[in-house]
Amino acid sequence: MSEKQTNLLQGTLDLLILKALVTGELHGLGVSRRIEQMTRGTFLVKPGSLFPALHRMEENGWLTSFWGESENRRKARYYRVTKAGERQLGAETAEWQKIALAMTHALKTS
Amino acid sequence: MIWSRLKSALRNWFRKEAVEADLDDEVRAFVEMAAEERLAAASTSDEARRATLADMGGIESVKQQVREQRTGTRLESVTQDLRFGIRQVTKWPGFGLTVMGTLALSIGIATAVFSVLYAMVIRPLPYRDVSRIVELDARSASGGPEGPSYPEYEDWRRMARSFTALAAFVNGSVGMGGGEGPVVLSEVQASDNFFDVFGVNPILGRTFAAGEDQNGRNDVVVLSYEVWQQEFGARKSVIGQKVRLDGSTYTIIGVMPAGFRFPIDELNAVYAPLHPTPNQITNRGNHWLQTVARLKPGVTARQAEDDLDAIFTELGKNDAFNAGRTVHAVDLTAWVVGDTSHALWLLLAAVVTVLVIGCANVAGLLLSRGVKREREMALRSALGARRGRIVRQLVTEALVFAAVGAASGVVLAYGLLRVMRMLLVASLSRGAEVSVNIPVLVAAAATSIAVVLAAALIPALRLSGAAPNLALKSGAGSGTSRGQHRLRTGFVVTQVALALTLLVVSGLMLEMLERLRDTQLGFQPDHVLTAEIDLPHGRYAGRDVVADFYQPMLDRISALPGVRAAGVVQLLPGTGYGYNSEHIHIYGTEPLKNPRTDPSEVRFVTPGYYTVFQDALVEGRLADPANDKPTTRLVCVVNEAFVKKFIPPGRDPVGLEIGDNDQTDTLPTQNNPRSLIVGVVKDIRQTIYQKPFPEHDYLIAQIPPALGAYVIGSMNLAIRTAGNPASMVPALRKVVQDVDATVPLRDPQPLETVLADVLTFQRMENWLFGTFAALAVLLAVVGLYGLISHEVELSTREIGIRLALGATRRTIVEGIFRRVGWMLAIGVAIGLAVTLAAERLINSVVAVQAERNAGLIAALAAGLAVAGLVATIVPAQRASSVEPMDALREE
Repeated sequence: MSEKQTNLLQGTLDLLILKALVTGELHGLGVSRRIEQMTRGTFLVKPGSLFPALHRMEENGWLTSFWGESENRRKARYYRVTKAGERQLGAETAEWQKIALAMTHALKTS
Repeated sequence: MIWSRLKSALRNWFRKEAVEADLDDEVRAFVEMAAEERLAAASTSDEARRATLADMGGIESVKQQVREQRTGTRLESVTQDLRFGIRQVTKWPGFGLTVMGTLALSIGIATAVFSVLYAMVIRPLPYRDVSRIVELDARSASGGPEGPSYPEYEDWRRMARSFTALAAFVNGSVGMGGGEGPVVLSEVQASDNFFDVFGVNPILGRTFAAGEDQNGRNDVVVLSYEVWQQEFGARKSVIGQKVRLDGSTYTIIGVMPAGFRFPIDELNAVYAPLHPTPNQITNRGNHWLQTVARLKPGVTARQAEDDLDAIFTELGKNDAFNAGRTVHAVDLTAWVVGDTSHALWLLLAAVVTVLVIGCANVAGLLLSRGVKREREMALRSALGARRGRIVRQLVTEALVFAAVGAASGVVLAYGLLRVMRMLLVASLSRGAEVSVNIPVLVAAAATSIAVVLAAALIPALRLSGAAPNLALKSGAGSGTSRGQHRLRTGFVVTQVALALTLLVVSGLMLEMLERLRDTQLGFQPDHVLTAEIDLPHGRYAGRDVVADFYQPMLDRISALPGVRAAGVVQLLPGTGYGYNSEHIHIYGTEPLKNPRTDPSEVRFVTPGYYTVFQDALVEGRLADPANDKPTTRLVCVVNEAFVKKFIPPGRDPVGLEIGDNDQTDTLPTQNNPRSLIVGVVKDIRQTIYQKPFPEHDYLIAQIPPALGAYVIGSMNLAIRTAGNPASMVPALRKVVQDVDATVPLRDPQPLETVLADVLTFQRMENWLFGTFAALAVLLAVVGLYGLISHEVELSTREIGIRLALGATRRTIVEGIFRRVGWMLAIGVAIGLAVTLAAERLINSVVAVQAERNAGLIAALAAGLAVAGLVATIVPAQRASSVEPMDALREE
């Protein structure tokens, strides 16, 4: 993904992260891998985008984090969606669906 | 969310190390885990980690990206920039001081002058619905001011349909009796509906009741706030108290709130109902009143004028005096602002000019510095600073300049205003209320700050957009800044042009003041003491004021040691005109076509007046109280301007008779309405500004005693002294006190001071324009110097190459001077064009006459050009001393 595309998908990244975490807590790499898996490899989130997003969302109160242990017994920072994060996920999902629908319509009519 | 972010911000700020350690652990863990994933796929762990790191672009870069979006990061970087900015200022104090000084001067001067303008021109007057109040400026058929007589006023008020209130008033002064001699106050006498016009309620008591302006009921008085404070100690019990005004007893019925004044220049006023004399009540030709009115809602000033015109037509059927009369309903604000507004607008233009010059200068300086720092910025950019970050840094730096400059500007504005307030109080009606105008201060500061920011942003945006490697490669960046050079050249040319305009205006003004100062006044103003005498009406009505007061007073004054001569006149020479008579007709000559447009000034004098003002008799004789009495033939003395205007060439004026119709009002008992010209005197200027008007003088001794208190109740005393006139004041006071202790002696001061006060506004303007012009020239020269030295600095390499290729130092220097010469020439040309274009505006203050002032203007332009060339010498010398080898090696 080039930098330009990341910018374009700024809002999308938050949505994807929330979606990735809603099924359970994950560490950074886990979030990245989960997004890759959910989007069937379309989006590869690089750490340069991932970590700023995670920290920003935590500062916004949508995520909380804690130190845990990874599958390989390595100390890792895990993220979990908060109540506010769930609400945000709902709102952003609805918004995204509206946009997606509109875009589909727009592209069809042309 | 806000709470959550606030918590984060506090944590980020105060627990920085913990946060950082966390971040480090987190990112490292990520790398390790990602590496483990790869390891599962292939090769060694080191290789896997390196591949991962390459993939993500390095740990530090990821961490930096996290840091940058942290809450509160911005604040930190701002404090960094601020510290850096302050370091920059202290590193190049010359540059910093120039920028900040320029800003301070521009803001300070602009604000101070704007504040004065606002207070005098723009600020609403302290009345309710000011837009509906109009001053009715009634004019005679010839266009001269002519208010209504008392019976006419009653007609207007009864017949007019356009006003909710139409009030008449006269203003003068009154002596209020007190323990330690009388106090002189301003007095406004008005009709009963006067306060209805302004819609302002008293803070204590009441204003006039309906019908309270009728004789017998009219001995009531409303105090202004100032009088209540100063003379009555702000006691609430003053209502109902009796007070003596000019010897009559009045009852205080009310106190007006602070700030209420009408006319607006009447400080320390008391308001009483009209006190018309029996003559005034019946005489339709005695136009002694002024009128002010409040329009009914929905009625325009125009409709009101039509309404009054119809009334004049109606009244004209019975009274020829109304034929051709007009009235102009003047918006009260316009009436108050009056004549000085043009001058004030010119000042405003000058202020804006100074602000423009200042801003152009600052912008030029900042632009040149921006160019100098191209490489620094390119380096920052190459090291990974992003565009927004660089711009923010430059803006913060500029803000340091702007903030310090603006703060100094504010201080300067307050200081300047203090000075101007002292100068203004005497000469402008609303001067005393001038205070720093906060919105204007903010506006001036904001403008300057905006200019500073713009000047900082232009290079910042351009630089941060350019590819850093190009900027780094291209040496001093001389190739990229051509556009800016043109901009800066434009700035310098503008500055030169505007500076010249200001120079010309201030030069002309200085010349005018010089001319006015030693203008042929027709008299020597030194060694003359003047004072105003106001006879209390109640005490002197119907008495022979000459025999009872003026003559005994003058006799005693003349007997004082050190007094050469003493006399009285109702209007001092040099201070004013307009006390005139319109229907001048010389018997035995062709009547003038329009007798009303050619008035002659009327003066009532004593013979001592001529001695004091050293009025040289040209022919005939002066009027002499020994021969000319109220009972004998009315005689007058005319001046040379009168002879020129009214007497046909070749006729001897002495012995001719004047028909002076207007004076029949004031001298009605004179059986013969003609007065005999007995002498011609040299012209004495009635006003400093204008050529002498025709004038004819009567002796006060010939005024019928019954009228004395009305016609000459208020006079100016003039005494020619042997020594310092100011030292005579105590003796003079004693004399007046001895003759009549109830008569106040107002404003005793040397005539020179009186005349200087007349010129206060001009002097202040001159002072301001002089300051502006000096500042403008200084800034233009600094701007020129800055531009040229900057150019030389940037083209050092080019100069080096040219020298290496065989150019002589002479050609280099010549090239620079040619360029400067062009800029100056264009600037001067534009400046002259602007001066001529603004001639009309400038003319309202000082006359610009291209032919007569050509020498002065040329000299100023040449002076400015020389200053510009001198400023070029230093940078030109630097250019000529460039060593080709050094210049080429420098890069």
